[in-house]
Amino acid sequence: MSSMDITDRIRVPAGAWGGKISRLFMVAVVALVLCAVGFVVDREQFYFSWLTAMVFGVSISVASLFFVMLHHLTRASWSTVIRRIAEALMSPLPLLVLFFLPVILGNHDLYHWTHHDAVEHDAILKHKAPYLNVTFWVIRAAVYFLIWTLMTRYFYSNSVKQDQSADPNTTVTMQRRSAPGMILFALTITFMGFDWLMSLDPHWFSTIFGVYIFAGSALACFGTLTLAALALRRGGYLETVIRDDHIRDLGRLMFAFSVFWAYIAFSQFFLIWYGNIPEETLYYIHRFEGSWKYLTFGLAIGHFIVPFMILMSQWSKRRPALIGFMAVWVLVMHYLDLYWMVMPTHHKEGIHFSWIDLVCLVAVCTILVALFVRKLSQNPLVPVGDPRLPESLRLHNDY
Amino acid sequence: MSSVSLPESKVTGEIVEDPRTRTTLVRGGLDFAGVTETICRSIEGKTPIGWYIAFGISLLMLGVMVASIGYLFWVGTGIWGLNMPVAWGWAIVNFVWWVGIGHAGTLISAILFLFRQKWRTGINRFAEAMTIFAVICALVFPTIHVGRVWLIWFALPIPNWELIWPNFRSPLLWDVFAVSTYFTVSLLFWYTGLIPDLATLRDRAKGKIAKLGYGIFALGWRGSNRHWINYEKAYLILAGISTPLVLSVHSIVSFDFAVSVVPGWHTTIFPPYFVAGAVFSGFAMVLTLAIIARKIYKMENLITIDHFDNMNKIMLVTGMMVGYAYAMEFFIAWYSASPYEGFIFLARAKGQYAWAYWIMITCNVLVPQVFWFRSLRRNIPVMFVASILINVGMWFERFVIVATSLSQDYLPANWGYFRPTLFDVSTYIGTMGLFFTFFLLFLRFLPMVAIAEVKGVMPEADPHHKPAEVK
Repeated sequence: MSSMDITDRIRVPAGAWGGKISRLFMVAVVALVLCAVGFVVDREQFYFSWLTAMVFGVSISVASLFFVMLHHLTRASWSTVIRRIAEALMSPLPLLVLFFLPVILGNHDLYHWTHHDAVEHDAILKHKAPYLNVTFWVIRAAVYFLIWTLMTRYFYSNSVKQDQSADPNTTVTMQRRSAPGMILFALTITFMGFDWLMSLDPHWFSTIFGVYIFAGSALACFGTLTLAALALRRGGYLETVIRDDHIRDLGRLMFAFSVFWAYIAFSQFFLIWYGNIPEETLYYIHRFEGSWKYLTFGLAIGHFIVPFMILMSQWSKRRPALIGFMAVWVLVMHYLDLYWMVMPTHHKEGIHFSWIDLVCLVAVCTILVALFVRKLSQNPLVPVGDPRLPESLRLHNDY
Repeated sequence: MSSVSLPESKVTGEIVEDPRTRTTLVRGGLDFAGVTETICRSIEGKTPIGWYIAFGISLLMLGVMVASIGYLFWVGTGIWGLNMPVAWGWAIVNFVWWVGIGHAGTLISAILFLFRQKWRTGINRFAEAMTIFAVICALVFPTIHVGRVWLIWFALPIPNWELIWPNFRSPLLWDVFAVSTYFTVSLLFWYTGLIPDLATLRDRAKGKIAKLGYGIFALGWRGSNRHWINYEKAYLILAGISTPLVLSVHSIVSFDFAVSVVPGWHTTIFPPYFVAGAVFSGFAMVLTLAIIARKIYKMENLITIDHFDNMNKIMLVTGMMVGYAYAMEFFIAWYSASPYEGFIFLARAKGQYAWAYWIMITCNVLVPQVFWFRSLRRNIPVMFVASILINVGMWFERFVIVATSLSQDYLPANWGYFRPTLFDVSTYIGTMGLFFTFFLLFLRFLPMVAIAEVKGVMPEADPHHKPAEVK
């Protein structure tokens, strides 16, 4: 394969984004200060809002690691031009461990199973205590972050190394490593879901919960990648590298995963509804109480029906602006989905949006985006040494 | 705006499966005519003696099925090992097993098509044929297990003389809709793909009857641009419809169990877990059949070792998904703190059906681990044995689910042990005869590899292809 030329800008000039990044950090600092105010004003609300926002950020970043490994595992070429964006999006993971610290501090307010007196008088919680205890729970979170750190480091550094060496064997090795990596990913995201979200209601359980978290996170990750790709094009980067064909494929993935999410969400709901055993239905009863039922139905419409109707046709997938709008849409839905999982624990009577929700979300998102953008600016915006890049540049979709 | 040259690639050391190139899917220097020749030879040439032997055995087994079912209708379902507490025995196990086997065909023809996996063209035709025959075998069981088979029409949404409708809240009724829809769409999909190839056979046919027969089913295909445009649109739409069907059929089959409140059955992961298991066993069956058919009909240039390599990877992935589901069930059985759930899962591993459980774990979780190694993924004897073991394991998975949960339910006084009778075995073996009879007829009269589709993924089919590149 002979070398090809790319006429687009694929490298961010040194310091060109410095202003943007520092502005993002400034917003983050302001948001963090407001979070601290929220902590003082309403500590419990802060912890719940922070947990929702934190899982939102972490889940997108982890799903991005999944995207990179899936790319390698399937020896895909269409996604080669997008891979560097995904790599930059996963790279903040090691730092995101700091997001978890407030959750550790707030474990007593968040998780009922941390209350010793409650566990003492509850046979079920007593049974679960070998798993649901603060020490083991913190150790597990540390293990998840350690695994994610090692995996993101590995895939990022090798990808960047290949920019110089252009050694196809690097690709072969990464392909090989992503197979066991996928197993680690599946286990960590599952138990992350169990530990951080499912155990909010420690009596409740669902075997599909890990798959549910995965489906929503992957969808949100595809949305983020789409937005980043469109933003880069608008900013004058990769204009002919990431073409509408690539955006269309991202739109397809969003379509597929919104359907997949609906399939998983429906399976969980339907089997619990039909079985009608009190220990399982309680979870949904809370989510049909008061104004929560509007969010429950809203998710069915917004997380499934709307993206399904809009993204199904070729017509809409050929319109990058519409795909971009849907990317924002699925991100909002992912946040609402997490909100729906977390908040009924705190506000049983109905939806109670708080300004603290907003500042926590802004803090998490701005920090994540700032770290992501900083990483993106440090290296070429496409893996220039990837042996499948020429194939990716030539991508043409008939269907 | 600066222009960036991509760096020239430098290989350090040996390279396996060079990512700079894609392997060609058709080997042996075959051109378009060569592809047609290779595939049509199996229909137009002399039928191998092995085919007659296999067909004779299949017919014999089919006879066993007919006799077993005849006796079943005469005497009743009491000839099977069904009794309280296990009143749902091999019939449901075999039904789920056969439906599952069908899934690979649709996955290959529809989902891999949507993912633009060109290698699927080598195997999609007979995988789809296998789907249709497997679904037919599957449908035998729910039909005959009702006891009063002349009332099977009660399962259809037709109000009877008392204006009683079927119970729409029963997943068994949803099965009727799901499986019949799946069968219809699979058949249409398969037939649509066959049309250009039937026209090829028509044009090549020497005998009058063959010409007429293929001609009728080719629907006047002339290969014009307009024909191709309609064909490709239909193909894409059918692929789009088939994809959710792959998921829905086995999800609904899983609902047969999961909507109940029986420990070991009622768990939310069942739908995706059943779908993964179905694809897993289906691929194993495709592989078993492909290895034999490829050898006998000398299709090595069309169904290459790389096809097998990819299929083995898919079996490893789906096998790991199934393993994940087993692990989740076990973990949540403990985590739920429900004594019934905990009991049934321990009973699976250590109770009276532990032998079946460990066959299942060995075949479904341990055996596919051989596919981590490239050399074993490309070793035909290894994958042949593995593919058969996987289907054994998947049969036992359904058996474990049915038998363990039913034999030890909430009332210990009811506990029992399920023993199959000769008629359980003979009916099951008999449906294999049905399957192979259909499959052998398919091999004899229809192109087992999709001629037009294989040509479509050859480099010559690319409008930018330069003939000079052909070696």
